[in-house]
Amino acid sequence: MKKILFALFAICFFASSIFASSHREAPLIANDPLADNTDLYVFRSPDDTNTVTIIANYIPTEFPSGGPNYHTFGTNVRYEVHIDNDIATAGDDIIYRFTFSQTNEDPTTFFNIRLGQQNLKTTYTMEKSTDGGATFTAVITNGVVPPNNIGDRSINDPVVGLGTTYSTLFNNAITSASSGETVFCGPVDDPFFVDLGGIFDLGDAPRQNNNGIVRDGLAKFNVHTIAIKVPIASLQKTGLSVTSATSILDSDFVIGVWASASRQATSVINTPTVNNPNPGTTNSGAWIQVSRIGMPLTNEAVIPVGMKDYWNALTPHQELADTMMDEYFYNPELALYMDDALFGGAVPAFAGLRIQKNSLGSYNFGNGNDGLFGLKGNPALAGTALDDAVFGTLLLPGAGKPRSVDLWPIFHTGVPNLEPYQLATGKAGNPLATGKPFINNFLPNGGDMIRLNMAVPVTPRTSPDFNSLGLVQAAVLGLTDPRFNQNTNLQNIPNMDGFPNGRRLEDDVTRIELQAVSGVVLAAVGLWYDDYSAASPSPVTNLLLNVLNYSTGVEENDTTFRTTFPYVQEPWVGK
Amino acid sequence: MKQIIKIILFLLPMTSIFASSHREAPLIANDPLADNTDLYAFRSPDDPNSVTIIANYIPLQIPHAGPNFYSFGEDVRYEVHIDNDVTTAGDDIIYRFTFSKTNEDPTTFFNIRLGQENLKTTYTLEKSVDGGVTFAVIVTNGVVPPPNIGERSIAGAAGLDTSYIDLFNNAITRASTGEQVFCGPTDDPFFVDLAGIFDLGDAPRQNGTPVDALKCLNVHTIAIQVPINLLQKNNLSVSSATDILDGDFVIGVWASASRQATSVLNASTPNNPNIGATNSGNWIQVSRLGMPLTNEAVIPIGMKDYWNQLTPYDELADTLMDEYFYNPELALYMDDSLFGGAVPAFAPLRVQHNSLAQIFGTGFDFGNGNDGLFGLKGNPAVAGTALDDAVFGTLLLPGAGKPRSVDLWPIFHTGVPNLEPYQLATGKTGGNPLTTGKPFINNFLPNGGDMLRLNMAVPATPRTSADFSSLGLVQAAVLGLTDPRFNQNTTIQNIPNMDGFPNGRRLEDDVTRIELQAVSGVVLAAIGLWYDDYDTTTANPVTTDLLDVLTYSTGIEANDTTFRTAFPYVQTPWSGTGNCLGKPYAYTQPAILPGSVLGIATYNQSAVKASAYPNPTADATVISFEIDRPSEVAIQIMTLDAKLVSSTVSNTYGTKGEYTVPMNMEALAAGVYVAKISITNETGKSVKALKLIKK
Repeated sequence: MKKILFALFAICFFASSIFASSHREAPLIANDPLADNTDLYVFRSPDDTNTVTIIANYIPTEFPSGGPNYHTFGTNVRYEVHIDNDIATAGDDIIYRFTFSQTNEDPTTFFNIRLGQQNLKTTYTMEKSTDGGATFTAVITNGVVPPNNIGDRSINDPVVGLGTTYSTLFNNAITSASSGETVFCGPVDDPFFVDLGGIFDLGDAPRQNNNGIVRDGLAKFNVHTIAIKVPIASLQKTGLSVTSATSILDSDFVIGVWASASRQATSVINTPTVNNPNPGTTNSGAWIQVSRIGMPLTNEAVIPVGMKDYWNALTPHQELADTMMDEYFYNPELALYMDDALFGGAVPAFAGLRIQKNSLGSYNFGNGNDGLFGLKGNPALAGTALDDAVFGTLLLPGAGKPRSVDLWPIFHTGVPNLEPYQLATGKAGNPLATGKPFINNFLPNGGDMIRLNMAVPVTPRTSPDFNSLGLVQAAVLGLTDPRFNQNTNLQNIPNMDGFPNGRRLEDDVTRIELQAVSGVVLAAVGLWYDDYSAASPSPVTNLLLNVLNYSTGVEENDTTFRTTFPYVQEPWVGK
Repeated sequence: MKQIIKIILFLLPMTSIFASSHREAPLIANDPLADNTDLYAFRSPDDPNSVTIIANYIPLQIPHAGPNFYSFGEDVRYEVHIDNDVTTAGDDIIYRFTFSKTNEDPTTFFNIRLGQENLKTTYTLEKSVDGGVTFAVIVTNGVVPPPNIGERSIAGAAGLDTSYIDLFNNAITRASTGEQVFCGPTDDPFFVDLAGIFDLGDAPRQNGTPVDALKCLNVHTIAIQVPINLLQKNNLSVSSATDILDGDFVIGVWASASRQATSVLNASTPNNPNIGATNSGNWIQVSRLGMPLTNEAVIPIGMKDYWNQLTPYDELADTLMDEYFYNPELALYMDDSLFGGAVPAFAPLRVQHNSLAQIFGTGFDFGNGNDGLFGLKGNPAVAGTALDDAVFGTLLLPGAGKPRSVDLWPIFHTGVPNLEPYQLATGKTGGNPLTTGKPFINNFLPNGGDMLRLNMAVPATPRTSADFSSLGLVQAAVLGLTDPRFNQNTTIQNIPNMDGFPNGRRLEDDVTRIELQAVSGVVLAAIGLWYDDYDTTTANPVTTDLLDVLTYSTGIEANDTTFRTAFPYVQTPWSGTGNCLGKPYAYTQPAILPGSVLGIATYNQSAVKASAYPNPTADATVISFEIDRPSEVAIQIMTLDAKLVSSTVSNTYGTKGEYTVPMNMEALAAGVYVAKISITNETGKSVKALKLIKK
């Protein structure tokens, strides 16, 4: 499979699996908040389109009022952002490593900030490796992490506090690396939004018995963000700028991004003495990855509890070699709750989400069924992505793995712009025919990563077409909007730069992923829902409408985003 | 201070500050599982022959913390320590809790599904009565109730098919030695405006409304109800107490969490995917708690980790940290000659600078750096009092420049005896605080440092009594000084709230307020070291300065929910699907369309954001929808079998935005209807269907 995938234009899928991105998602890391990766975003910067912004968030559900010590990055943790940009090289091509240290400017007070002095004041070193982690070069030293936004007395007051404004502290902390990146590390509003309480009460999203009220469980919480804005030429494997892209789906511009946190294997708690009252722990041994994130919600709602810690410890490159966890994507747990033959009746909130059991009168994508596997060897597959001669058995590995053609590749390889992964527009009823090009973020040499084709233009945030449904909305437009559904020409359809082609801060990944589990991607490529017939005036049948109209009801962040780097909003004030 | 024969003693309302002990030191703030948040010890109001001890851990738990929620740590020793005898060194009783977890169904990411529970937690309780040398198991396989995830997980057929209160009550168990025990998630009973207070002491907030930062949050509780005779050093029952201040009934309680020194992270494999860490070495105490807020707001940041790792017995030998009580940081902010002006919220709180100046020369100055009562050292007037070197050595007057050695220090380190000058000013003669006054409290147990000290002989104030007050001993002192029922003589009386903080700590006690009042010298005033504006000519102790202190409040004076009237008294945990936290959105789920062709040509996003409120409704509802560009919109109300019962005319909306259309449903029969919203614009036509319920 995956070997020499010369520049084919490709399609991507919007799929994956669920819910609260990755806050406290596995048992072990739930007890180590400092090293707990919550979310990862990767998008072309809307105000600086020659760059891509990567945002990796850590430390879940920080209370803005969490005094007296508040939250900050851990000093014994390696926070890393990994980038794969070349299918021909094994492992990471670029690694950014952040390490933090803290100092108390006035150890005689219990207040965090007093009289212009700050305790637990945090600074960082940023290192960069371009040889797969063999060597690192420091590109920022003494980077400043702004203090927590404690309140007006601590921040603004010129006598007892710092005598400044939080915006000044925030903006002054944005710095440039010697290698050209713009960087910010510090507390921010948690940009994620989700009805955590509903969804983890056995899938009750939207809530069925709450008088029409749903709740964003992350409203008014902060996280700690690591944000990096990188010139596209620094990310592209041969140093090309985005103007060199041959098209908006140029596969030489695909990157895969993932983030992690690691601790040293051995930790020894030291005994403090009067003369050394804060000895902390002594750490030694190999660095062990304790948290990772690529696609949102993988480890939250795809990987079952028994395998979550294991998943966190793997790299995407190791994961590709693992075959056991593939099963969770071939036959995802969530699909059990979207199938009336299984546990569909037990989750009323998902009633609008039903998987194709008889698509085009032939194909059953319910768990345990064969999906498209019956086509294996069929001459109709020749030259498509499902042809063994093209990618081997990558996408049709066997019987009883119905989602090997949609959910699995979205999480593990990205999707090429090859039949059948093009929009149904122009296919004339045959999903295997050539359709309208949609996306290409195929990079099959690592497992779970956020894959972004950097050549896809930015949808302006002010455009009426901008939409938090990301690629789902781009597919809707490409199928139904007269501006985009007239032919099979490659067009820049709004929101082709949205999740899961990268992930924008606005993207409603919970909704998109639930829709994907219920088969919306299959529908987009022409594997229509069961109520479609050739006589239908439109593929937008009731069952497809039910899926498209599905929402958890929490569709946006509880505050705005900034129009400039780091785009995430200043942290909520404690007081 | 050693052989403290049976003196009946007095206790001072004191301590020092704020958010009890949530995330209070840098190291433990990063280890929530082992983070002790609060400790309570009180005579059980419904069972006066027992004392209830509640030790809380794991701060700031949001109830909706799925998918893994919160539970006790498996690699942690949670301990409750009790000292009941001044003649024995160290702990007399230790309760040790250890927890283990199992996944009943490791194939799901849900915590509870189909009657199975993941991360299901059970515990073993051990007890030592020989100072920790040996432990006997007294509860095995104790049940920790699951998190209160929500209706579907707890009560639903796809969940546990029970009720949370049943799970909660069924988890209460009895140890083989007679204690009642509960371990599990509960409402956090503490209440405090964390944000205000840690923004440089802005409590009450000078601009804006105070906020209880702990509202709607849960903690994990270890609650033990112990018969008093098991706690009393000679196994006497409380009916044997000679009086309500019997010194043989004083206990000191503290709680801790420990981890083994060395932790090695293991590499997990597919066959052993949850291998976690391997721990070895000595057990190191990483968190402790006795008096509320000590390590939060008395110990400065540079010493907090150190404080957490000491035992109260180690602490008594430490002299460095005594200074934080002799001259507390908070007192800097209550003193106009220091930083008083910098903390306007504390303006009513002012420490005595020249107490009793009309009687004793220049009076006594308790401002930081001053001598307090040290000038009396060796004076014949202190003979026989607690300040006499012949009685307790230099315990209470260790030196010059340590003004709070007589009030804040002993409250945190020894408790206070019922000896002059630690009696209420009521009945004291000649304006002299060293004379005999009205007995107040005795929780003196000077063989350990920071502990919560309780004289178990003091009767419980009924929670329903009109005299019950969250000000604890401060209120008892007020009554003993000013209430004609209690201020007529120096006879020992059971004054309401003598069982309140800091004689033990009840769930209701507003320890933040009490401790701030104590730092500003209210205890000194209670025993007759009046505020600076006291005038011997009127001899009214309730001066403006004292009133300012007594009426001081942070504005957050009670928990955000009730307490239970029976053990474990703390309330069941907040539900993950409750409406207490999070940002609400009105959302109406679209009606689910039957599997058939709708027949619309196109679909666009405009139709998706639509809702109806109220719904269900008895008379009218308002339909809201959002359009992203100029559109024509029509709304039809239909029965489930597609009969049109009401409609609006098609209306053109010229700009994007959110619009509302009222729909009168008064004339419709009760039942279920569908609102069909049709939106037409340049991107095509789309339809949204909302389910409406007419009551």
